[in-house]
Amino acid sequence: MARTVKRWLVLLAAVSLLLVNAVPAAASPAPYESYNYNSWREAVPSPDAYLPQRTISGSDLGIGEFKDPGDVNVSPSGQIYILDSGNSRIVVLDPDYKLLRVVDGFTREGSKETFNVPGGLFVDEEERIYIADTGNSRVVVLDAEGQLDQIISKPESDILATDFQFQPLKLTVDHVGRVYVVAQGVYEGIMQFDETGKFIGYVGTNKVERDYGEYIWRMFSTKAQRAQMVLFVPTEFSNADIDHKGFVYATNIDPGSNEPIKRLNPSGEDVLKRFGYFDVKGDIRFRNNTGPSKLIDVKVLGNGMYSVLDATQNRVFTYDDEGHLLYIYGGKGNQVGTLKTPVAIEQSGDHQLVLDRGKSNLVVYEPTRFGTNVNEAVALHYQGEDTEAVHIWQEVLKLNANYDIAYIGIGKSLLMEKKNEEALGYFELGMDRKSYSVAFKRYRREMMKEHFGTFLTAGIALIFILILTRVAVKWRRRRQIDREAGLH
Amino acid sequence: MKQDYIKFPLHLIFHPIDAYWDLKSDNRGRMLVAFSALALTIIMMTLQKQYAGFLVNYIDPRTINSIVEIVTVAVPFFLWCTANWAVTTLMEGEGKFREIFLATGYSLVPIILIYAPMIVISRFMVQEETAFYYLFNSIAFFWFLLLLFIGMMTVHQYTVIKTIITMLLTLIVMGIIVFLGALVFSMLQQLYEFGYNIYRELIFRT
Repeated sequence: MARTVKRWLVLLAAVSLLLVNAVPAAASPAPYESYNYNSWREAVPSPDAYLPQRTISGSDLGIGEFKDPGDVNVSPSGQIYILDSGNSRIVVLDPDYKLLRVVDGFTREGSKETFNVPGGLFVDEEERIYIADTGNSRVVVLDAEGQLDQIISKPESDILATDFQFQPLKLTVDHVGRVYVVAQGVYEGIMQFDETGKFIGYVGTNKVERDYGEYIWRMFSTKAQRAQMVLFVPTEFSNADIDHKGFVYATNIDPGSNEPIKRLNPSGEDVLKRFGYFDVKGDIRFRNNTGPSKLIDVKVLGNGMYSVLDATQNRVFTYDDEGHLLYIYGGKGNQVGTLKTPVAIEQSGDHQLVLDRGKSNLVVYEPTRFGTNVNEAVALHYQGEDTEAVHIWQEVLKLNANYDIAYIGIGKSLLMEKKNEEALGYFELGMDRKSYSVAFKRYRREMMKEHFGTFLTAGIALIFILILTRVAVKWRRRRQIDREAGLH
Repeated sequence: MKQDYIKFPLHLIFHPIDAYWDLKSDNRGRMLVAFSALALTIIMMTLQKQYAGFLVNYIDPRTINSIVEIVTVAVPFFLWCTANWAVTTLMEGEGKFREIFLATGYSLVPIILIYAPMIVISRFMVQEETAFYYLFNSIAFFWFLLLLFIGMMTVHQYTVIKTIITMLLTLIVMGIIVFLGALVFSMLQQLYEFGYNIYRELIFRT
């Protein structure tokens, strides 16, 4: 008897457990609030585009904690290279985040050499590792086996001062082997080296923002006063990345700049498209928190998209090739997914990786349905497949009816199909005045063509009636005058 | 009827120097016209915000409020009349308050006449043509300023320089009136607070 009661009790307990579990768990909430800006400059809540999936620290990999990690890079073959600056080593992971190897030095002319607080690294198609070895004032290039390939040390050039200190911080390499180095204290732009390590010159100088008040003040000050004033020097770049066409994306941390992201063409001019509602500069409105955004890393995602990492609010902003802000995720905090001191952003497959120096780990973000859809639709639009993109945009609108870019995307596709009237409505919803104007022009011409005959007929009829009434009035008046004159 | 209420204002905006003189000496001005000009201006401003074409309308529809519209046009209008009257009384202006009011009201007519068709036309404009919209709006505004200037000059029998000076002074006096108004308002509020506090004290003590 007691056994049956016990059995029933156990069964009841098991069932109750089952029932508890049967309550659907809330969709895994992000530890941050995602938002996007509407055309009225308001931050509007938005579905999360990326959610934190896991974090990877040194102890997870069994190689001891990372110490002040400085950079992360994913090679074209998918291997993940983490630069563990404090420990002067490079940790290589496979695409599934399993440890492959650790590079902690190289042999040069028989003797072993190590790195000294390296700041950045880049891996090219042949798995060559380029390391900005900041403490040793050199750039080290290792081949796929970890053997020394080349060392770029302090460049010799007429345009460099004799006491020039070469301290490379970040670097990127194009497909013909030219190395672009962001170095400390270099205001002239990004240093460019050819494939043999020879210094070519600078690309992309940041312009000095003129402060006219200060300029006038300076005119009235004495030489001694002027010597005490702040110098107006261009800001340094903070990071650089390269797209498959060889255009260098660079970020600078000038807080007053409205163009902190630059896309430099081979001759060093900024060719970034800025057709969105606002400047491409991260957060555009900061009423409750500090701003503006301090962009410290940029990652080209392909299909014209790029993500930038903001070190003020620890958020990631992703833009499409026309400069529309696609989504924002991340934030300050101590949970998994929020960031303490982010230093680098990377992309591995469809995951995004953010290296957090403050917590000494790598955070892996996974796209949500919303994020995946947006990425796909933007890619299709970039490739010119607008009709295919429409379905995905409609899917996006189901998840976020406030997503202006989706309305514009559908509108553009309708415009291409010559459905001008329908396109008008979508452009109005997306507040895209330029495209609206194009659609409206076509629609107006269409209407004119269709109804021109009617308009003309009505017009001529109107003129005819006007003349007739005029004649009638005149005639009647004359009759009146005649009658008064007693002619009738 | 038609002569004074419709034809005269239309004549005035094209021949301001003669017509303002007629308005003053022949008593051709009508208060009803001035008031309706003000009312119609407010209506046009509101309609423009609500119904101007998408390409020229940058107003957030959630922020449109007709009370605010009325206040932003009517208050400066009456302030202008009062301040101008105050200034010109001291500066030997010949205009009476009624004449100032009429001159200011009549000078609003071009704004109404230009805004009304522009609201309709702007709905059929494309981006390149919106320049005309802005052009005509500016014309309306400058026409209004010109009429106001000539009106003030004629009504007070001033020279050009003196008119400009009085108009600038009027703006300053408008600021002073607003400042004094705010001061009085805040004083009254504090007075009320004070009285209310005493009342509360008494209530609690009993």
